[in-house]
Amino acid sequence: MAVEVNHTKVPVDMFGLGWRPQLALGILSNLERIDVVEVIADEFFNARRSERRALRTLAAQVPVTLHGVSLGLASSVKVDKSRLERTARLCEEVRPLSWSEHLAFVRGGGVEIGHLAAPPRCDETIEGTLNNLSLARTIVGVLPQLENVATLIDPPLSRYDEASWISEIISGSKSDLLLDLHNLHANAVNFGFDPVEFISQIPSGRVRAIHLAGGRLVGRGNVHRILDDHLHDVPDPVYALLEEVGARTDPGLTVILERDGHFPSIESLLGQLDLAREALGRGRARRAITSRREVAA
Amino acid sequence: MSVPRLEAFLARIYVDAEARERFLSNPNAEASGAGLSTDEIEALKQIDHVGLELLADSLARKRQATDKRRSLKRSSEIDH
Repeated sequence: MAVEVNHTKVPVDMFGLGWRPQLALGILSNLERIDVVEVIADEFFNARRSERRALRTLAAQVPVTLHGVSLGLASSVKVDKSRLERTARLCEEVRPLSWSEHLAFVRGGGVEIGHLAAPPRCDETIEGTLNNLSLARTIVGVLPQLENVATLIDPPLSRYDEASWISEIISGSKSDLLLDLHNLHANAVNFGFDPVEFISQIPSGRVRAIHLAGGRLVGRGNVHRILDDHLHDVPDPVYALLEEVGARTDPGLTVILERDGHFPSIESLLGQLDLAREALGRGRARRAITSRREVAA
Repeated sequence: MSVPRLEAFLARIYVDAEARERFLSNPNAEASGAGLSTDEIEALKQIDHVGLELLADSLARKRQATDKRRSLKRSSEIDH
């Protein structure tokens, strides 16, 4: 009797690092411990031919995701078409597993902010984001995963809390969510909400990717806030949040550790990826027990 | 609410120290000059001052780091 083989691909969690030139040697020397690499798309928009060739070579060795930082999708203002076209060309060239962008605005009235800013959380920015996503899908062909951003300021004139605002956008589009757990941790500390409750409020079934990072406290007088600077190791509360995500989602997450400077040894970064694997594993184990109990009941 | 105008105003006070200073010392004049409504101006008066200062500092440092990185990249391209 012929053995029937189930060829259905079982989704697995993947763990990797953000690609930075300073980490290149360490990453390429340790591909057996790295499932995926996340590349900043914008760094390659005006890259030389040799740099783009190097990116294609990288993508041939390890699965790659592309991460955008300058589209400014979460805005009432229409996203720049030429930036989307450059993203489309890069996706065509690299064939990434996925591409992602932030729920942020990065410019307004001709002023470049130079980084990601949390927009006012209101109906107008929800509508603007949905329109921008529609254009992104038309030009790039695939919707981006959407990342929550950290903020030091409570966005003025907001009418939604962050979880509700994100949920409206995720529900109104077909985009999935890239949940940055350090951004969530920072905002929860900065503005006094419960990050676990946040996770239970958003559509957890749409979380497809995770970012991990570290930051530091900054302050004025006796007011302190967490700055998400990507210059420090992942703190314990972020691993605890990863466990919570594991307890609420199915396998198939892409987990990326971001580090932008003050680079430690590659062993230290790989050690943090191991801690992430353990944390997600603990969450998965909790989910399995809950599922078994539900079946038994 | 005119959110495009509001986003433009926020972008300016986040990155332009003089505009930020003018807004903090006289919010009515600076915000009405940007075309914001009375309701928007009243809401902006409640802005999180500490958050605004911390954000502005952080953005200034990010821009410096980006400029430095771009300059290094340009130098390396010239070398090649």
